[in-house]
Amino acid sequence: MKTTETIAAIATPPGEGGIGIIRISGDEALLVGTKILRHPSGKPIKSWPERKVRLGYVVSPDGERVDEVIFFYFKKNHSYTGEDVLEIQGHGGYQNLKKILTLVLKAGARLAEPGEFTKRAFLNGRIDLAQAEAVIDLIRARTDLAQQAAFKQLQGDLSQILKEQENSLMELLVPIEAALDFPEDEIPDLERARALEQIHEVRRALEQLLAQADRGILLRDAASVVIVGRPNVGKSSLLNQLLGEERAIVTPLPGTTRDFVSEIIDLEGVPVRLIDTAGIRPINDPVEKAGVEKARQLMAEADLIVVLFDAATPLTPEDQELIAFLQAKNPLVVLNKTDLPVKLQVETLQTAFPQAKIRFISALSGEGIQELKAEIRAELMGTAGREEQPVLVTKVRHKEALSEAIECLNLVEEGLAEAGSEDLLALNLRAALEALGKITGRSVSAEIIEEIFSQFCIGK
Amino acid sequence: MQHSFDVAVIGAGHAGCEAANATAKMGFRTLLLTINFNNIAFMPCNPSVGGPGKGNLVREVDALGGLIGRNTDLAHLQIRALNTNKGPAVRALRAQTDKQLYQRLMQNYLERQPLISIRQGEVIALDRIKDHWRLTLSTGVKYEVAAVVIATGTFLRGKVHIGQLSFPSGPQGQHPAIAFGEYLETLGVKFKRFKTGTPARVRRRSLNFAAMIEQPGDHLAYGFSHWVPWAPREPVSCWLTYTNEQTHEIIRKNLHLAPMYCGAITGIGTRYCPAIENKVVNFPHRERHQVFIEPEGLNTDEMYVAGLSSSLPEEIQDQFLRTVPGLEEVEIVRPGYAIEYDVIAPEQLSASLQIREWPGVFSAGQINGTSGYEEAAAQGIIAGINAGLYLKGESPFVLRRDEAYIGVLIDDLVTKENNEPYRIMTSRAEFRLSLRQENADLRLTDYAYRFKLISDEEYDRFQAKRQRILAKLSYLEQNQLLPDSKESRALQEITGITIQQKISLKQLLKMPAVKLSALWDVIAPEKGCLLEDEVVENYVKYEGYLEREAKMAARLRKMEEKKLPEDLDYMAVPNLSSEAREKLNKFRPATLGQAGRISGISPADLSTLLIWLTGSGR
Ligand SMILES: Nc1nc2c(ncn2[C@@H]2O[C@H](COP(=O)(O)OP(=O)(O)OP(=O)(O)O)[C@@H](O)[C@H]2O)c(=O)[nH]1
Ligand SMILES: [Mg+2]
Repeated sequence: MKTTETIAAIATPPGEGGIGIIRISGDEALLVGTKILRHPSGKPIKSWPERKVRLGYVVSPDGERVDEVIFFYFKKNHSYTGEDVLEIQGHGGYQNLKKILTLVLKAGARLAEPGEFTKRAFLNGRIDLAQAEAVIDLIRARTDLAQQAAFKQLQGDLSQILKEQENSLMELLVPIEAALDFPEDEIPDLERARALEQIHEVRRALEQLLAQADRGILLRDAASVVIVGRPNVGKSSLLNQLLGEERAIVTPLPGTTRDFVSEIIDLEGVPVRLIDTAGIRPINDPVEKAGVEKARQLMAEADLIVVLFDAATPLTPEDQELIAFLQAKNPLVVLNKTDLPVKLQVETLQTAFPQAKIRFISALSGEGIQELKAEIRAELMGTAGREEQPVLVTKVRHKEALSEAIECLNLVEEGLAEAGSEDLLALNLRAALEALGKITGRSVSAEIIEEIFSQFCIGK
Repeated sequence: MQHSFDVAVIGAGHAGCEAANATAKMGFRTLLLTINFNNIAFMPCNPSVGGPGKGNLVREVDALGGLIGRNTDLAHLQIRALNTNKGPAVRALRAQTDKQLYQRLMQNYLERQPLISIRQGEVIALDRIKDHWRLTLSTGVKYEVAAVVIATGTFLRGKVHIGQLSFPSGPQGQHPAIAFGEYLETLGVKFKRFKTGTPARVRRRSLNFAAMIEQPGDHLAYGFSHWVPWAPREPVSCWLTYTNEQTHEIIRKNLHLAPMYCGAITGIGTRYCPAIENKVVNFPHRERHQVFIEPEGLNTDEMYVAGLSSSLPEEIQDQFLRTVPGLEEVEIVRPGYAIEYDVIAPEQLSASLQIREWPGVFSAGQINGTSGYEEAAAQGIIAGINAGLYLKGESPFVLRRDEAYIGVLIDDLVTKENNEPYRIMTSRAEFRLSLRQENADLRLTDYAYRFKLISDEEYDRFQAKRQRILAKLSYLEQNQLLPDSKESRALQEITGITIQQKISLKQLLKMPAVKLSALWDVIAPEKGCLLEDEVVENYVKYEGYLEREAKMAARLRKMEEKKLPEDLDYMAVPNLSSEAREKLNKFRPATLGQAGRISGISPADLSTLLIWLTGSGR
């Protein structure tokens, strides 16, 4: 018989926190523990009482004390993953935790893949699919707002709204099905006008959810913002400014950034992936050439392009080329180095991007950076503020299910309006319910039959 | 006395007759045993056959070469088309039959089969002798056979209730099979108790039809069978009347005398054909319930009182019947009753309808927990085919859910914990639009020929029909109407549609306002065959939906292709939920698809199973 491999990982986010947790899950969790943990007295640990906080040391194979730690043990049936779990809390420095993890792996565990603990919890029936997805989102959620959306889903907000819509559809479907199966029983005829209204309402509710979905998916998957511009305009400097740390290398030499650099930042609750690219210019160096190619590709995939110009020099042919390339892409136009005397003709730039409102910044002094952050956020999320309705649909899979349901409801409306036959009405209503069931996990087919019998007196 | 048979069928009801016919057609010497030779293909409940879902089953059994369709056509008193305006997926036929004629025709048909011997006898024991089975009758006679189909209906330890009176009995006063039920139990078969019921039969001459609404039959161009020529008769009418507050009052006052309500019956009853007691209790706001008065046959004065099934004492039945308009002077011929009987717990059955632990022993019909003649016949033919395949050493025949209502029925039976007698419904079928009544032969008749349940001549006829349908479809695809042509003007006259540009006939037919008959009128003077045209028309009009169902079916088939080993010990599969382990060990699904349809099996369980199966290299 197959046993599950024992996995381990650092369970707290990287950083210099006070403590850090290493989680070990699987049949051999205790075996690993026995190998690396010791009593404060230095003696090996023999007994493993469940869910008890205990103090001890992590030791290396040659007996050297690596860290003073707290540890807990959870038996299969009480743990998050549904397997034996050992958690070790060490001192939080990343280097220290990495050392402990290395010992754990040497003792027989394997490094967990991202989300693998949750996957096991799901496979062991500890959590259902929607919960598993929400937990994975929660783990990945990098910012407050994204976390809110993940929490909401955990608590079933989305399910609650969808349940109401499902009930409304069921209310229509059941009498139709009953009449199809029992044509000689006295089942009231379908009131098409009323049904049409009801379907219309459900469709509107679903469409509202769908309209928010893009924003929700953005929250989960971090929007990508690409910074482009010819060499030396200050792209890397801007990235560092937005990030608040010296991440990208800045030099006075053009062509410094040769590959792209990407970092995630929190723009007032919206996770944004900032990408600094190689300056775009005609080049022969193959490495840099590849970098420029990549930049073009990133622009094509980006949610937003920030194009940077150097205020201190007039527009160059390279700038002109970039302007031509970006014509249809609606970029955010930014003039950098405004701390220096302005030599670039702003009017020329404005004619090139007639729709754009040109922003002025200095990546050196930080002038205009706060405003630029707000602009980027507004571009990505629309102009609405933080307090607007909570976002509920955060997954592509859910978005697809919603679109599918709406499509089916359109067909139902068409059928109702154009005297379509009941078998197709029922078919499309069912399909809509099944699509919603992909999100809520509700299975309609068994329910329909139950409902027919509880609502109608059937039978000769 | 001939003692050597290949297969024995126990019970000659609607399942048993189909099973025996199938094994005999497949070339096996078949012993058909009945407790009473007078009661072959007996209809102990209503005299009707068909309806939504049920009618599809009848046509499917017929397409497979079974008997219920032809026999119903030959014995019909009236036939109606139901759901005619609700779309092709749910169109259905329902016939009223002459019960005595039905029985006589079925008996004569079976008697004509050289490989079938019908014998009267009560089986009391079934024993395994190496790879054979020995049947012992109450008279001491023994038969040894290689395969058995058990089709005992409601006879196994049957117990009838009329008010406070209860006694061991088969349906309508027949001898029950007590000893056999007990014997099977000692062999380890697990039974549940189900309950069903039937209304009183009344004397035609005592009724006042002037107070009722006549329900005439339709004049239809075809019946159920693909094989016997349709011979419509002058329809014999049924009659509609209603209960009223007075009726309900009598029932309410006497509920304490109803075995269902005083605790005498422990078996579980049906919700779709409930006793009037249940209707009154469960739907107290209904002011009236429908009552259909249906003839039991031409050569009898008995009438069936559909809608008033009851197990109240006969006197009370008499009282409440008299409150119904037209029944004031009613004379009861036989009282209504409830019957409890043994049902094989479904987890003991495989999808071939074989009892898992007993190679060569199959079961079919009400004993498997269904209700209805149609459901019984459907299982009967499949059990028969599979008994035949077992004798040939071939793998069993299992219809998929996207192929036939029969597939839906049997799959539901073996994967679901049914807690009432199971009746087919169109809403149980996820491929409802594909499983239409008019295309049953296109779906199934190739199988019938493969198993030799139809003759060469019949198969030739079918193939010719299929060719004609295909030819019509390609004709519609390849031919066009031009604007301003004579034909398009004629079409405009019929349908009001103006043809603006060249358009294929198929595209035209997709328009809701265009009927195929109208197209034929315009382009071809001779009329097509109605039934074939229905196939063509539905195929064209619903092409998009049919393709969608086909795609869904393909996905399902993938899951069905993932076989689960018979001997898989689910207790040993790590990470399964304990409910899943228990259910899977109980039902032992044959495929991953089947596993998914067992209630209580979550998607997580399925992925776990899938992962485990791949991991263990199976
Ligand atoms: N005065 C002034 N200098 C700036 C400003 N922003 C950037 N610089 C300088 O411009 C030079 C180039 O800056 P980078 O950020 O490396 O420019 P880049 O666009 O990333 O250049 P490549 O990676 O070579 O394409 C550096 O010397 C920066 O210090 C600004 O706002 N004002
Ligand atoms: Mg750079």
